[in-house]
Amino acid sequence: MLSPLAHRALERDGLGDVRDRVLSGERLSDADGLRLLEAADLAALGALANHVREARHGHLAFYNRNVHLNPTNVCVASCKFCSFARKDDQRASDGYTLSLDEAVGKVLSRRPLGITEVHIVSGLHPDLPFEYYTELLSRLRGAWPELGIKAFTAIELHFFAEKFGLSYQQVLTRLREAGLDTLPGGGAEIFAPRVRRKICDDKATADQWLEVHRTAHRLGIKTNSTMLYGHIERLEERVDHMRRLRELQDETHGFQVFIPLAFHPEHNMIGRAFPKPTGYDALRTLAVARLYLDNFDHVKAYWVSLGERLAQAALSFGVDDLDGTVLEERIYHMAGSTVPQALSEQTLHALIRAAGRVPAERDSLYRVLKVHETPQAVA
Amino acid sequence: MPKKLKAAAVSFLNAWPLTEGLKGSERIELVLAEPSRCAELLEAGEVDLALVSVAALERGEYEIVPGMAIGADGPVQTVLLAGEQSPAIWDEVFLDTASRTSHILAKVVLDAMGVHPKFTPLPAADGLARARGTRGALVIGDRGFDVRANHLVDLGREWTHLTGLPMIFALWAARPGAVLPEDVQELTRAAQHGLGVRTELAQRFAAQKGGDPERYRRYLTQRIRYGLGPYELEGLEAFLARAADKGFLRRMELRFVDDVVHRPRARRTLSLDAALASAAEGGRLSPEQAEGLDEKAPLLELGLAADARRRALHPGDLVTYIVSRNVNYTNVCTTACHFCAFYRPRGHREAYVLDREELTRKIDETVALGGIEILLQGGLHPDLGIEWYEDLFRWVKERWPAIALHALSPEEIWHIARTSQLPLGETIDRLVGAGLDSIPGGGAEILDDEVRRRIAPLKCSTDEWLAVMRAAHRKGLRSTATMMFGVGEEARHRVAHLLRLRELQDETGGFTAFICWPFQPGNTRLAPGDGSAHAYLRTNALARLFLDNVPNLQASWVTMGGGVAQAALHMGCNDFGQVMIEENVVSAAGTAFKMDGEEVERHIRDAGFRPARRNMRYQLQEARPG
Repeated sequence: MLSPLAHRALERDGLGDVRDRVLSGERLSDADGLRLLEAADLAALGALANHVREARHGHLAFYNRNVHLNPTNVCVASCKFCSFARKDDQRASDGYTLSLDEAVGKVLSRRPLGITEVHIVSGLHPDLPFEYYTELLSRLRGAWPELGIKAFTAIELHFFAEKFGLSYQQVLTRLREAGLDTLPGGGAEIFAPRVRRKICDDKATADQWLEVHRTAHRLGIKTNSTMLYGHIERLEERVDHMRRLRELQDETHGFQVFIPLAFHPEHNMIGRAFPKPTGYDALRTLAVARLYLDNFDHVKAYWVSLGERLAQAALSFGVDDLDGTVLEERIYHMAGSTVPQALSEQTLHALIRAAGRVPAERDSLYRVLKVHETPQAVA
Repeated sequence: MPKKLKAAAVSFLNAWPLTEGLKGSERIELVLAEPSRCAELLEAGEVDLALVSVAALERGEYEIVPGMAIGADGPVQTVLLAGEQSPAIWDEVFLDTASRTSHILAKVVLDAMGVHPKFTPLPAADGLARARGTRGALVIGDRGFDVRANHLVDLGREWTHLTGLPMIFALWAARPGAVLPEDVQELTRAAQHGLGVRTELAQRFAAQKGGDPERYRRYLTQRIRYGLGPYELEGLEAFLARAADKGFLRRMELRFVDDVVHRPRARRTLSLDAALASAAEGGRLSPEQAEGLDEKAPLLELGLAADARRRALHPGDLVTYIVSRNVNYTNVCTTACHFCAFYRPRGHREAYVLDREELTRKIDETVALGGIEILLQGGLHPDLGIEWYEDLFRWVKERWPAIALHALSPEEIWHIARTSQLPLGETIDRLVGAGLDSIPGGGAEILDDEVRRRIAPLKCSTDEWLAVMRAAHRKGLRSTATMMFGVGEEARHRVAHLLRLRELQDETGGFTAFICWPFQPGNTRLAPGDGSAHAYLRTNALARLFLDNVPNLQASWVTMGGGVAQAALHMGCNDFGQVMIEENVVSAAGTAFKMDGEEVERHIRDAGFRPARRNMRYQLQEARPG
């Protein structure tokens, strides 16, 4: 139930019509999305997003126990927001490529921790054969059959298709045979061509990114989706980005979650010109995503990007998922993130409970593994 | 298969839809009994759950089965007051012995009508026979179908008329822990079955007891409501609250069989909603209301109300800040507070007292950066008497006449008075004479001695802290007020703290602003407190509502980070603190948020406000480019 105070505030802000559409389950237009982003009334926006969030998920807040694996940081692309990529794997430039034994060993060493998912993303390495990737997955799958394998962004998959002369479907089919379960949502950045030209003009286009996900969805592979915000994009371009995701979701229903990612400015090309987006921007973007993306089940606040405090606050602004324990995060940390590289499950529980929510561990496919009942209900 | 649960229920027609589907259940064995007997069986532990009248909830710490109940939203037909004459002239009412909930409802309804008769227990048949003249009778259950009387008051209808809410008469109550989520599913399944066959149940009832099956069908489908959603819960809570107000029932918290996904929200009582609405309009909250809000109100409800207050107190879109420098003149301290990572004992190798050379450098830098204030605080150094401070202040004022001295928390002033064996008033006079401009509100922690004794046993007491502020305010000094929460205190302690501040502010009007932050665990000896963003935003919003006489609320970006502080600007705060050139105390415990003036202004603008610089009296100095 939306409270009288929220009703009054939304009326005052001239958002009564948007509220009515939300409450009646009607889809928001792009203009609505933009108005909400520009509204500058965070409490009222949050109340509306929270209403939708609680109607979908009650007090549950999802997380998983996951480990990150970045097999190589060598990348032929030159995205201007990236602090992770290196041009070669020379030690002098901090470049590295893990051998298969190292990569598999790293993941398997985490097995005693009750990990349920590995998140694998890499640079676009100019020399590695396709077998490196299929072998990596099949060895993981063979050694750890129940592990959820979430691997390779659409950018990498597009790169494989071009480099190895395969169709998206062939790439995905072969990786799935090797053990792939789901795709991460990275590489989406901002779909608008104006922005892509400026920040990442030499990797897969928006249409290619969407086509990879469409192909995955048709093959029954669930995927995640992201948006890198807070650099040179306009608010209209954020709405445009979400619209394209919403349209593909209407078509395939293959997206599990939307994850807005705050741009981190350190050690990359555009950070010199643009400071890190503020927490206010994070909260309003998450809240508007919850309201605009009516066909998405989950909206995630990636705590590595936001910090634990903002991520916790986000649980009242439309967010129902905090990612996971995230062992060994590297990409954001190379861009200046100062948050811990991992959170214990206990810490995640404490964060969630202190926000009045109930921690629910999920797997890669957002199936609930365990609801960790609160000792007492907190408002 | 686990042992079957035992469930007791009444045989009234209105219970049939909930119990019919349990016949033949493999999980739950049904026992039929009179209403009062159902409650006794449950209390004695002879059954695991029972369909009981809501008044029976006060007989134990029961868990309510979510989702289903027996209620009505308007006329119920089977809970009636009957009499020959109008209830307005009744002086005695006979109460059917069967149900306490109905007794209480009858009393509540008659009370609202301004009728206060004597209540006499009597079986329904006898009561009805004697309901003549100024006497009435309560009739409940299936007997109600056949009552004939000149004056009939349907208590369901009266309740809904009175409150606008449904009335819940009975529900499944379970012994704590006895009922599992699977059992709730079984009860739900049974209810779904029973609700689907209400026509058949009506026919069967008519065949057994006589009467019109169509009438019973209408009763089961149109009069009785079987859902227990948020709206019904609100009705239930309103009823229990009224009954408790009148002393008919003890006050209780509703608890549910734990079903996290479908558990209805912990409902706020109507009085809390009303309190929030009134506070949003500027009404003064009582401490009881504030405690209730602290414990129960959702974050964004507090936030919306606080935002409404901020808009009323500070219309427009200016958010202020000050450029100042924190100077910690010494880290030598004798109080050894458990939460402090900054202090060192005298003689420790890291102990220091800043010399004039160092101070000169710091103040020159401050002036160069556009700073107009020095926030001077330090430990309670046992060797520094009032002369040391007087010299220091005079020296600062001579060299930098434009710099304001926002210095010495109450703790330090108290310490100086004690060390120099001076009365408090004289101490303050001398410090003001030397150049003291205003007092920071630090060291308040939680102004409740129960908490203070535990976390800071050597610190000044609540009364002493307030005495310094009172004396300073009377001498025309202004000060801020602070609260550090999350040290294991409860809502009542936080509210007690705010109340002491509000009372003093009523008396002196000397507080310019309030600032709170959570205890920062990290480098100290206390166990980690709830140093979370969620708790911070809640506490901050509650303070905006409760401290109706304190003009300004500062967002604490230094402790919470810029993003959470921006959210606080939308939930009660109108000030973004200071561009802080140095802050040793908090950073010693691990907080590492740093911002320069440009960054502070970017945060203010990005959150939808216009930055403006102020002085320490919160007077505007300079509007900044929007």
